[in-house]
Amino acid sequence: MGLSSDMTNRRVNIPTSTETKKSVSEQWNELVERLRQDIGEAAYQSWIKPIVVRKVDGGTAYLTVPTRFMRDWILAHYAEDLRELWRTLNSDIQQVEIRVNADRVSRTNLGPLNSEVTASESVPKSKNVGADDILSAPLDPRFTFENFVVGKPNEFAYAAARRVSEASSLPFNPLFLYGGVGLGKTHLMHGIAWHIRNTAPKRAVIYMSAEKFMYRFIRALREKSTVDFKDQFRSADVLMIDDVQFIAGKESTQEEFFHTFNALVDQGRQIVISADKSPSDLGMEERLVSRLNCGLVADIHATTYELRLGILESKAEQLSAKVPRKVIEFLAHKITSNVRELEGGLNRVVAHAQLVGREISMEATHDVLHDLLRANDRRVTVDEIQKRVAEHFNIRISDMHSARRARSVARPRQVAMYLAKQLTARSLPEIGRKFGGRDHTTVMHAIRKVDELRDIDQGFGEDVELLKRMLEN
Amino acid sequence: MISSLQLPLHFQHRPSLSGDDFIVAPCNSEAIQWIDRWPKWPEPIIALTGPRGCGKSHLVNVFSNIAKPYPIVVNKLEHALRRAMKVQTAFVIDNAEEKLCMEVEELFLHFINVLKESGGHLLIASSNPPGRWKLALPDLVSRLRAVQVVSIGMPDDRLVAALLVKLFSDRQLRIDSDVIKYLLPRIDRSFEGIQKQVSILDSTALHLQRKITVPFVREILDNKQKSVDN
Repeated sequence: MGLSSDMTNRRVNIPTSTETKKSVSEQWNELVERLRQDIGEAAYQSWIKPIVVRKVDGGTAYLTVPTRFMRDWILAHYAEDLRELWRTLNSDIQQVEIRVNADRVSRTNLGPLNSEVTASESVPKSKNVGADDILSAPLDPRFTFENFVVGKPNEFAYAAARRVSEASSLPFNPLFLYGGVGLGKTHLMHGIAWHIRNTAPKRAVIYMSAEKFMYRFIRALREKSTVDFKDQFRSADVLMIDDVQFIAGKESTQEEFFHTFNALVDQGRQIVISADKSPSDLGMEERLVSRLNCGLVADIHATTYELRLGILESKAEQLSAKVPRKVIEFLAHKITSNVRELEGGLNRVVAHAQLVGREISMEATHDVLHDLLRANDRRVTVDEIQKRVAEHFNIRISDMHSARRARSVARPRQVAMYLAKQLTARSLPEIGRKFGGRDHTTVMHAIRKVDELRDIDQGFGEDVELLKRMLEN
Repeated sequence: MISSLQLPLHFQHRPSLSGDDFIVAPCNSEAIQWIDRWPKWPEPIIALTGPRGCGKSHLVNVFSNIAKPYPIVVNKLEHALRRAMKVQTAFVIDNAEEKLCMEVEELFLHFINVLKESGGHLLIASSNPPGRWKLALPDLVSRLRAVQVVSIGMPDDRLVAALLVKLFSDRQLRIDSDVIKYLLPRIDRSFEGIQKQVSILDSTALHLQRKITVPFVREILDNKQKSVDN
């Protein structure tokens, strides 16, 4: 049975006695109750409750679930427990087979996984069947080739990834994708996996982060199941390991990775690796570096303004969100670090607008992304407010403190008091003192006056808003 | 507007989930809405940020009652990681920034990756937004800069008034509305400033065996100002 090593530790509640005389439904009820106690209510409700027992026939229990995704998840996380628990209740059970109940599948919102609803896989004891389902991390449905926006900085890596996913023979082995964080390496790897799943479902694809590879390897060492570990990986037709920089310096994992790598290459299986640096800069041992270098090395460069615009437009369309052009341009201009943060920024703005039920605006964008757009949230001081407002209205700073009551100075002074109340935590008497020792009732009057004027004079309101934003930034 | 403030105040009160009421105001309503919306979050992680005393820990309690999350202990991050690998569930980490250190950054990154794969959720509460934490690992920084941040902003006048009533009442003090009206325009309006002011008034009244009335408050505030002026 090809199993993830991290599942075996969980089997703590399995009793040793067997009761074969119970009916299938009694066995099932008892089994799920035990599983519920072990995995918790939430997981039980999500994954176990929807399972329907069809029949038990010739040592095999046949179960159905509503979606392929659910089947994949159960196979990866609970299949072994189901089989083992069932065997304790009925020793005849050798195998649990989980199928997708095609009648119940909705084609509208489950994405590409639905294309294979007719497939059925079992949970056999054999180690090399369904290895992708058990080992591979779940794929993000958004990370398809169709959703990947291609531009100059990533076109080479994209073309290489497509080639790997489409080729029947190996065009280059391994494909090594590298680039800074958040530039789309994971997206391309998931894209390869989705494409293969859709066009050649029989090919076993394993996608996994390097950390998880290491984690599983360490557990296998601890549980003395390294032979199983090796077999699981070596049964893959396509092995993709993401962020391989995390095993640099971890010698035994690196060693195991090297052997897995060699075994697969020798058998003519495809390998795709990603890292944040080129093979030579990873700090790994020489023989591994030379292995990594012997296929195609494709790098992804930092994004350009045009690519960022394209990514944001595509993302806004995926989210079905109406994003004003100037917000898109603003984000493309301001968030230059990487695609993850760029898309994250747009996600945040859209999610906020949907939560509060308002349209996306520049003002909301500034507010929502304040932590990205500003280096800190240092509170502005009353002195800074006075200075900026005086400059804006072209009066002297001393007029902020003077007794002059001409409207040309009184109005800017009121605006400054209003902003001091809005942007600082100062008490009103303190604000009054900062304006030439005025009483707090004068400050209250100023605040009221500015509020009134903002309501009746749109131009004035915009002026105040502009000043506020300038001071906040 | 301060002048039009009428007491008693009518606030929307959240039913107590942790033995105490949470006052819903414009500056925190978004945070409450996200918590109420769980598990229908657009992304797996939401970070709740705001200054000390703004009610983050209270909101963490509210979330804990709703989502029954697994509380993350930084020096035992492996436990959280193992749990995320095993079940799809919610996690919470309070004062996250103070607790994270370089030794666990890689593990935390791994945890976030696994969390996403498993379809779980994480609520982070911290003074600073995660994108500004001083971290060394670029992969972790970039993931944290992309999370949904909900900031609790400065309290408005109505919340300041309600907080004054609540904080006095926490100290078993029943205060006339005149006192609240008097205090409102005259105190520092930060969450910390409000708490400090209530504490000063309470301890001074206790010390002098006086009731907290408008003349008493005026005396205290005038004395405070005099000491600042001198």
